[in-house]
Amino acid sequence: MTELNPYRPEMATVIEIVEETHNIRTLRVLLNDPEKMKAFSFQPGQVGQLSVFGYGESTFVINSPPTRRDYLQFSIMQAGEVAGRLHQLNVGDQIGVRAPLGNYFPYENMKGRDILFVGGGIAMAPLRTLLLFMLDNRKDYGDITLIYGARTPNDFCYTYEFDDWKKAGASLILTVDNEAPDWPHRVGVVPKVLAEEAPNPKNRIAVTCGPPIMIKFALAALKQLGYADEQIYTTLEKRMKCGIGICGRCNIGEKYVCIDGPVFSCAQLSAMLPEL
Amino acid sequence: MDDKTNALREHVKGIFSNLELVLGWEPGYDPLHTRPFYVRTESDIDRLTANCLSFQNLTRYLAKSMNAVDPAADGRKIGVCVKGCDSRSLVALIQEKFVSRDRVYVIGLPCRGTLDARRIRALVPDPARIRSVNAEGDELVVETDRGISRFALDRAIARKCLQCRYPNPVIHDVLIGDPVTPRLKIDAENPSVAAVEALSLEDRLLFWENQLDRCIRCFACRNACPLCVCQNHCIMETRMPKWITQYRNMNEKFMFHMIHALHLAGRCTECGECERVCPVGIPVALIKEKINAIIYEMLDYESGIDPEAVPPLLTFSPKETGI
Amino acid sequence: MSGKIFVAHDALSGLLDDLSKKFKVWIPQMMDQASGHIAFGVYAPGKKPELTRRSRLSPKKILFPSMDTLFKFTYVKDPKDPVRYTIDLKESFDNGPTLVFGARPCDTRGFQTFDQVFLKGQYKDVYYERRRQNTLFATLVCQDSDTACFCSSVGSGPADMTGSDMAVIPIEGGYVIEGLTDAGRKLVETSGSAPSPEQAAAAEQMKRNTAALKIGEDDLTGYADDLTRRFTDMDFWREQVSPCITCGVCTWVCPTCYCFSITDEASGMSGERMRSWDSCMFYLYTLEARGHNPRPTKMERYRNRVGHKFSYFPKKYDGMVSCCGCGRCIRTCPVSIDIRKVVKELKETADDRA
Repeated sequence: MTELNPYRPEMATVIEIVEETHNIRTLRVLLNDPEKMKAFSFQPGQVGQLSVFGYGESTFVINSPPTRRDYLQFSIMQAGEVAGRLHQLNVGDQIGVRAPLGNYFPYENMKGRDILFVGGGIAMAPLRTLLLFMLDNRKDYGDITLIYGARTPNDFCYTYEFDDWKKAGASLILTVDNEAPDWPHRVGVVPKVLAEEAPNPKNRIAVTCGPPIMIKFALAALKQLGYADEQIYTTLEKRMKCGIGICGRCNIGEKYVCIDGPVFSCAQLSAMLPEL
Repeated sequence: MDDKTNALREHVKGIFSNLELVLGWEPGYDPLHTRPFYVRTESDIDRLTANCLSFQNLTRYLAKSMNAVDPAADGRKIGVCVKGCDSRSLVALIQEKFVSRDRVYVIGLPCRGTLDARRIRALVPDPARIRSVNAEGDELVVETDRGISRFALDRAIARKCLQCRYPNPVIHDVLIGDPVTPRLKIDAENPSVAAVEALSLEDRLLFWENQLDRCIRCFACRNACPLCVCQNHCIMETRMPKWITQYRNMNEKFMFHMIHALHLAGRCTECGECERVCPVGIPVALIKEKINAIIYEMLDYESGIDPEAVPPLLTFSPKETGI
Repeated sequence: MSGKIFVAHDALSGLLDDLSKKFKVWIPQMMDQASGHIAFGVYAPGKKPELTRRSRLSPKKILFPSMDTLFKFTYVKDPKDPVRYTIDLKESFDNGPTLVFGARPCDTRGFQTFDQVFLKGQYKDVYYERRRQNTLFATLVCQDSDTACFCSSVGSGPADMTGSDMAVIPIEGGYVIEGLTDAGRKLVETSGSAPSPEQAAAAEQMKRNTAALKIGEDDLTGYADDLTRRFTDMDFWREQVSPCITCGVCTWVCPTCYCFSITDEASGMSGERMRSWDSCMFYLYTLEARGHNPRPTKMERYRNRVGHKFSYFPKKYDGMVSCCGCGRCIRTCPVSIDIRKVVKELKETADDRA
């Protein structure tokens, strides 16, 4: 019975910490039970509930791809009780992990297509999972382009990996909201740069994640460019507790973001009640 | 409150064009219930009622549901119906600048007491379908599908009304009906507080433990209170800062009720809404009444009387005496 | 054996005494005379079940306590290396044999909603499941509806025994208790003697008469699409919800409101993870860590409450409305908001209302 208790987290150890920005850090963790770590199976886009015992649980996307199994990676922005505590952990600390939860990016349907990633701020986390997964299966996909924006040059995550991504065959377009000294890349909010770049919608899938305001304008820009609802995917975030479709708070109408999401196509979103 | 429905409607009809809306009451789902009502259009006026079932303190909405501070662009005011007790809450809200006096048009309703639905349910032999409730002089007549019951009005009105010292609105732009005689003198001892204080210390603890044991931490008392203005920042709910756990034990319940009461020290106007709305029937207003008695004794202050006064716990004077 | 027994009024205490040796027996009881507060409490010899007046709080806490420990945790330091530690987790289950005696049909039926969500979804809630499996319901055929009752409006009725193991049928002089499930019949047959033919006939008559009663005027099922249509009509929601003080009492007293929060409470090196009742009427319920709130005002929150019960739930669970019609939300609402009226008016057009 114990084995089936969906509220019981697996114990895990923090093995590495990367300070990404002033308020985002990445934790790399290993399940303490080597057998379970070996058997751990998930899909790109699925999330996990991380526990710091005594503080609670919070939801984060597993942002290492299933193709890289050395550890499970989570990027955490400092906001709220649990994330605040996760920012104080050290290597060797114990956390709880309930994962994988939720649905995932339908990467099978994206095979053979060009892929456009549009991300802002911490929301690069779920995109990274899919991006690396696709780069690890490079031949399955066409052109892979990433438009990634942040408030300032210091607010980008994973900068140490950008070169690897390019080498593996992704084009990167970086942008910051406002002019900054010595910034060699684009300036302007993500939807603006997206409109300027105007990637052709033909045979292309767009995957966009970001703060609600960015999503709103990015979706508008994509539609302007001729992308159909079925060609656009995004992830939703809601306050969650149980993560398993029971506790009730993350619903949009009869859909629960925790089990029916977090990944939704724009077509699915437009069939849902407008309560984002 | 005697039935003032017709007089109220007439008055509101006469002034409605100068008002943005009027906060009043309308009949509820059965003859024992009334609900707050926002009169937004001329045709709404005939839904208004004002009688012994006008329980709710409507000033609560001024501070918590609308901006009653800044003047409207067109200069129109918010009309609000108040009983004596409600008017004191309004004064307190004006003192604390949650409501601006110029923003509201105060319709005062002298009141001989409002009914306590719970007491009536207990008085009627079998509390089935209530068909009508009428105050006839000092008698209350309740008709149910199982017959008619009559009893003294005083057995059916709220506890706060039995010890009312301010039945007449202390602030108003118009008064509907004649002033009524207060039941208690202003400096009279609060009989409910005295009754609990007459208990031995052990019995008093037992009394409160028995009462608070039922608390389900629903926070209705907090949300109904016109002066509980922390809204979504109440420490009962926030985890940052975290002062109170999610445990439903006596410590936490006691802590909540004490914090609630202490935040209202020198502010509570004894409108009794906290007690009326409690789904498990805890006399929570008693705690605040006791604190009010202390404030009156120590600082010679009664809340919600003078809009110009500063509540003693919201200020400090080195010359204060009696502390 | 007929699977039925007769219990005279003065023998009820004896029966409950016997049952309480085998079960944790919950009965509706008077908790506070002064305020007439009736709620479910554990039976102990000497306590009297309150079977003629409805309880103000529903029995949902019996299977879904307002605070429930999921597991306890302890940080255990490594004596050899004090920087290192492990965490010891211990789940706790509280699930002895339980009997709920004297709940009303609406009370018992409320757990049908829980069953869908807690037992039949993708994940099974083991805490609820264990309690559910160990609990029997002896449900009172309900004789006294009041002005807030509307069980017939949501596909039920005062003699609806859905989810009950035994029916408690009041007749002249006492009760006929009838086993409805195998477990219920087994318990009944070992708990007393069969009714006389007259008593059995009176019980049947009582059941039939009660079943024929229609409690609640309108049919409130089938409103799923009306809610969707009305979703963005904020004038409608403003009008319905203006008096609401977002206290959440409706959710606390509701037999079908199951939403909860999960939090950790710790002190020093140990603590527990627990779930506690939460309310969709609260601002903090949906407030996200970074400040966004999809339901910022009482209009969105109340819309969600009505939507969940009368639209989202039926869409997800084959037309089933997650409201049992007990009327508690109406009865205890400090501002007398009437959910029947709100649901009914979903269908009306603006012209109908004017």
